[in-house]
Amino acid sequence: MKNKSAISRRDFFKAGTIIVGGIAVTTALTPVDGLLFATERPAGKGKWYGIGIDIDKCIGCGKCANACKKENNVPQEPFYFRSWVEQYTIKNDGTIIVESPNGGIDGFKQSVPSEEIFKSFFVPKMCNHCAKSPCVQVCPVGATFETAEGIVLVDENYCIGCRYCVQACPYGCRYIHPVKKTVDKCTLCFHRLEKGLQPACFEICPTEARIFGDLNDPGSKLNYFLKNHTCMVIKPHLNTGSKLFYNALSPEVR
Amino acid sequence: MPQQVKRLISAFAVFIVLFLIMRQVLTPSSFGELGHFRAKAIQENMVRELRYAGSVNCSKCHEDIRANKAQGPHAQLKCEVCHGPGMKHALYAGQFTNGQLPDSLVLYKPGERKDCAICHQLNAARIKIQFDTINHTMIHQIDAMKHNLADTDTNIEFKCIECHNPHQP
Amino acid sequence: MENHIQDLYEVLSKVEGYVYPNEIELNWSILIVLYPYITGLVAGAFILASLERIFKLRILKPTYGLALLTALSFMLVATLPLVSHLGKPMRAYEIMITPHLSSAMAIFGFVYLWYLMVVLLLEIWFDYRRDLVLWAIEAKGFKRFIYKALSLWTTDISPKSVALDDKLGYIVTVIGVPSAFLLHGYVGFIFGSIKANPWWSTVLMPVIFLFSAMVSGIALVMFIYIILNKIRKQTIDMACLDMIAKYLFYFLIIDFALEGLDQIHRIYEAEESFEALHTMVFGKLFFTLFIMQGLLGTVVPLLTLGTLQFYTPREKIRKPIYLIVSSLILVGIFFMRWNVVIGGQLFSKSFYGYTSYKIGLIGAEGYLMAFIWLIVPFIILSFLLWLLPPWKKIDVDHEI
Repeated sequence: MKNKSAISRRDFFKAGTIIVGGIAVTTALTPVDGLLFATERPAGKGKWYGIGIDIDKCIGCGKCANACKKENNVPQEPFYFRSWVEQYTIKNDGTIIVESPNGGIDGFKQSVPSEEIFKSFFVPKMCNHCAKSPCVQVCPVGATFETAEGIVLVDENYCIGCRYCVQACPYGCRYIHPVKKTVDKCTLCFHRLEKGLQPACFEICPTEARIFGDLNDPGSKLNYFLKNHTCMVIKPHLNTGSKLFYNALSPEVR
Repeated sequence: MPQQVKRLISAFAVFIVLFLIMRQVLTPSSFGELGHFRAKAIQENMVRELRYAGSVNCSKCHEDIRANKAQGPHAQLKCEVCHGPGMKHALYAGQFTNGQLPDSLVLYKPGERKDCAICHQLNAARIKIQFDTINHTMIHQIDAMKHNLADTDTNIEFKCIECHNPHQP
Repeated sequence: MENHIQDLYEVLSKVEGYVYPNEIELNWSILIVLYPYITGLVAGAFILASLERIFKLRILKPTYGLALLTALSFMLVATLPLVSHLGKPMRAYEIMITPHLSSAMAIFGFVYLWYLMVVLLLEIWFDYRRDLVLWAIEAKGFKRFIYKALSLWTTDISPKSVALDDKLGYIVTVIGVPSAFLLHGYVGFIFGSIKANPWWSTVLMPVIFLFSAMVSGIALVMFIYIILNKIRKQTIDMACLDMIAKYLFYFLIIDFALEGLDQIHRIYEAEESFEALHTMVFGKLFFTLFIMQGLLGTVVPLLTLGTLQFYTPREKIRKPIYLIVSSLILVGIFFMRWNVVIGGQLFSKSFYGYTSYKIGLIGAEGYLMAFIWLIVPFIILSFLLWLLPPWKKIDVDHEI
């Protein structure tokens, strides 16, 4: 008799655990759309900001990187950049040399004699404000987010400084501010946008190599740029929904 | 109910209730309104000092320079590219009508060779740049180490602006 | 901050090729190497205990209580390197109140809490409750109060009640096994799900982490068991130790196979990042990967334990062999974590260059701090062994 009740009690506990466990798991699964991150961009008629960069026009003056640091109070040391410029030199023998001395702020020197160069160009880099941003996906507390206009921002009063987003960004756009100890990155000069001004780097570019605009506006400079050039994003295979479109992007650029 | 199960349930109940209370207390007020973040953070990102004014604002006082520049190849070059962030100057310099500006409002006047070289130094990556599609001009480049480097007698370096007016090069 | 900037200039001078400017500084330091190491030890020690409890390997009984207490000691320390590494450690609670569910790291708070409270503490409680009540009766003063509080002021130790303890403990252990997998598997997922980093991004990462965790945890209990019995001048149950060594061997084979598969796959497919990773593996990572993790941490233990399956030398020789092998494995698995965490940050995501890792002796993220985090669990364990000595328990055969 004792064995019978022992077995049935064991069965009860087992069954109970499975039922409760099942309920717990299924309830936990309801916010699972958080896991399916790489989905379509939010539909809407509002602004949807994007960026265009024309590599054919960039002269590598580094004024954009300089202006960014000055406008946004970025630390001057060469380890913290919201935006920087890279110089690519492809030699005749196929070697690829990439340089970015102090992010390009002090200008560039030609490091390889001209007769050995096959091709050489400058590539400005900055936050791509991805539509399916992996940095937003991995933030454990919700300290980084994308606004309705498509700008990825950081909440420096909530960030715990775990650095997960820095690891997740495929483009190397994020850094930890050495004093604030929270993450920092390009905000598309959000504080200028709401006053109707352009972000500092776009404002300053002497050759109009940087174009900024509203992807939802068919008449915007950016859409004109996209229609009339063959544009690509960096690392498209990662499906980040990058909104930084380069004209004349060479395959060496990563 | 067996004694230990009763004790355990009460212990866990206390813990869970405490946790839920702490959660309620500690969650920031604007969290979750627009998504999984503090909605107030959007406002906080807007509040920042502006440093660059934009050339439109420079022309309000320096129209003569703009007109001068408009004739030459530096026509579409923004003032702040060379002179640095000018918002404070644009906002406050107008008060000082006697022309004596305090240091904090004085803008940098580039005159050294390196200032011009930053755009005009000969570089294989610059040769093919055509930014003026109508006239198909390329950016003029010189080798700053060779182009009229220094006075051959005194060995003092020439400044580029000794021959080239930066507004009308 | 000045020192930090000085260090960064030094790192900058050692950069090879091109790295994104923001990549010069390594983001996750030795403290982040420690966290998966410690949780791995917890999960592994727990699995060893569950081998006895669920899979009825009675021969492992001498290490059952020790394994649980070891798991608890390391569990209590597990969060500390993480929290101390944060830029804003005072905000660490945010993970508990607003976890972002799309982030693997957000689960941390709850998985940790679940495992600590529902699995580890409950299982130990059910196992020790009768003894706590009895020890409370014998003890005096403050110690008596402690024992009473720990038993949650229960007094019922009738056979029926103890049988219930046993049953509930069994259920907790059953839940505990997948929970242990979750506790450490999610850490592997944290790395394995980062598509931006090809050294980390692999489906196998959670599985590799899990099996190396089990290996390290079992090695740890073996190591502590030998040392502890030496200190207490007690005889070692060699049958138990031999069985532990056997399971260590099995798990080590699986771990080696998984890691080998990961590398073979990477070499065979030779994707975009391959050349950059290859240079790193044979360059900056050579010593920690091939010598420490590979040779000393895996191949030597495998060969030794494998030989012992066929040829059994005298106890006098087996004991020091087990001690050496378990130490080698503990060191090897530490370097496995090192190679994953640090290795993943040494190369640039542009695949054009490499940075270097500057670590000092002192400082919040220096060698000394890491050493302290590794020593503290042993101190806690000594305290727990004094408070809840497994050898003083009234021996009861688990009925279920």
